[in-house]
Amino acid sequence: MSEAPKILPRDAFIDEIFDAAKKNPNIYFMTADLGAKALDRFRVELPGQLIHGGISEQNVMDVAAGLAQNGKIVYTYAMAPFVTLRCFEQIKVAIASMFLPMTIIGNGVGYSYNDAGPTHYATEDISCMRSLGGIEILTASDTETVLQTAKLSYTKPALRYVRLDRAFLPDIYPSGDQRFMRDGLVEIEPGEKACIIASGIATHIAKEVRTILAEQGHKVAIIDAFRIKPIEGAVLKRVLAPYSKIITLEEHFLSGGMGGAIVEAMADAQILKPVKRVGVPDKYFLENGGRGYIQSLAGVDAKSAAKTAAEFLK
Amino acid sequence: MTNLAELKKKCAWLRRETFEMVVRSKKGHYPSSSSCTEMVVALFYGGYLKYNAQNPKDPDRDRLFISKGHAGMVLYPILEDLGFVPKGELLKFTKAGGVFRFYPDPSIPGIEAITGSLGHGIGLASGHCLAAKRDGKNIRSFVVIGDGECYEGSTWETALFASHAGLDNLVVFVDRNGCIIMDHTEKCVRLDPMADKWRAFGWHTIEIDGHSMDEVTRALDVATSGKIKSPIAIVCNTVKGKGVSFMENRPNWHNKMPTEEQIDQARRELAAEPA
Repeated sequence: MSEAPKILPRDAFIDEIFDAAKKNPNIYFMTADLGAKALDRFRVELPGQLIHGGISEQNVMDVAAGLAQNGKIVYTYAMAPFVTLRCFEQIKVAIASMFLPMTIIGNGVGYSYNDAGPTHYATEDISCMRSLGGIEILTASDTETVLQTAKLSYTKPALRYVRLDRAFLPDIYPSGDQRFMRDGLVEIEPGEKACIIASGIATHIAKEVRTILAEQGHKVAIIDAFRIKPIEGAVLKRVLAPYSKIITLEEHFLSGGMGGAIVEAMADAQILKPVKRVGVPDKYFLENGGRGYIQSLAGVDAKSAAKTAAEFLK
Repeated sequence: MTNLAELKKKCAWLRRETFEMVVRSKKGHYPSSSSCTEMVVALFYGGYLKYNAQNPKDPDRDRLFISKGHAGMVLYPILEDLGFVPKGELLKFTKAGGVFRFYPDPSIPGIEAITGSLGHGIGLASGHCLAAKRDGKNIRSFVVIGDGECYEGSTWETALFASHAGLDNLVVFVDRNGCIIMDHTEKCVRLDPMADKWRAFGWHTIEIDGHSMDEVTRALDVATSGKIKSPIAIVCNTVKGKGVSFMENRPNWHNKMPTEEQIDQARRELAAEPA
């Protein structure tokens, strides 16, 4: 990986919202007791716009929905597993089924929370959230995607689930790059015959996979899946056109994950190409050793993923 | 000054109307609607709720949430009566092309939120109350929750929050009819002492006979006096199925349809004007 920027995704996101909230008193930020360095400024300078809802995700979602019904631009923020699964029905009923705009920020997707175990891992958030009607799902893979997502959230409010990694992520996109916002799927590294589709931290793992595969004579492209709901069939068709084999890579269960979303979109767009999905197998891990180690157990680290990919590309 | 006799008559009328809706469409929940009849009649006809039938989304209106959404139909005769919807809509309850749906949702003029899944109304209303406070507006939210909703954890999450946030513009009626679908609440999972629970959460709590219009209006006088500095819970002891003797306090009537003979009997009982 190239050198990581010095700001965490959540701080980059919240700083951007803070600046907007200073100018717009209708912006409200609700947290279910997840802090951030950037939130400290909110606390001091905009205490009326930062609402601590208690460690009560269900309450946070219902109250936030009530605020949104009054035209407020509302953010709900907690660790990814809690802000999605713990209050899933509130998101469905009080927000999605009433067509309310809201930005739900899940911090620490995948195995972000290192040694914490399944309670803190979010390896089901995509499958759950994408089953909801009328929601957009965005995964930030670097600081530029974080910043543009934050801007989008208050300039064009809609129901969005924003997935942030807990780790520093190296830069991918230059400042002002408009491709990921426009297309949702962006080829960030060129290749021949095959490509890997990934998002978030997995995009960076995919770059390592690409290096390993290059040593074995495979030149694979990398496609960053910034927006996995909705996926535009025409974009997918164009992006996949040069490649005859597709690999998806994610730090998420295979059931209903990003790879599943891609495969469904391919089917709907009549894109008939062999696909190998690499993701978390159908089990939880109760192991020490940190994120890299858990990734290796799940087969989603660069080395394991490269091995799976090489088999597929034979 | 509220005319109690008029309000009581309205309650009798509303019970007849909701019963006929159920009989016509073979859908709906009369018993749950009947237990909260006095609350909604007092709000709309007793002058406690600021509403605008010509502009139901008037930003300065008070909000009302029937959080026990299965009883949302209790509002439909009122909404037609007051002109939120054209006359004749009641006859189209649950029918294709009709405005009034089995469970309420904001596509219906006068309905604030979708309800039917329990435990949402109090949180949604708290969001409205918070917005009103931040915007410096004198707007109240009234919520009718069922005692069965007090099993939902989200109810108590918000009870904590609303109290801490000082939402003195939030008034919650707890329709304590003591029945849930399978049995009486105290036989399933005990809820008593109900009022003590709300008090312990920091709510100004008033316990009343929910079918006494006198007590309902007096509780609302207190709740809307502006003197209470916390959210207000009005625990209303009520009878599920009130007005139809064979349904009263019988959990199994939750959504059961009466026979022709039972319909005749119910109509006779509901025709009686209040004393």
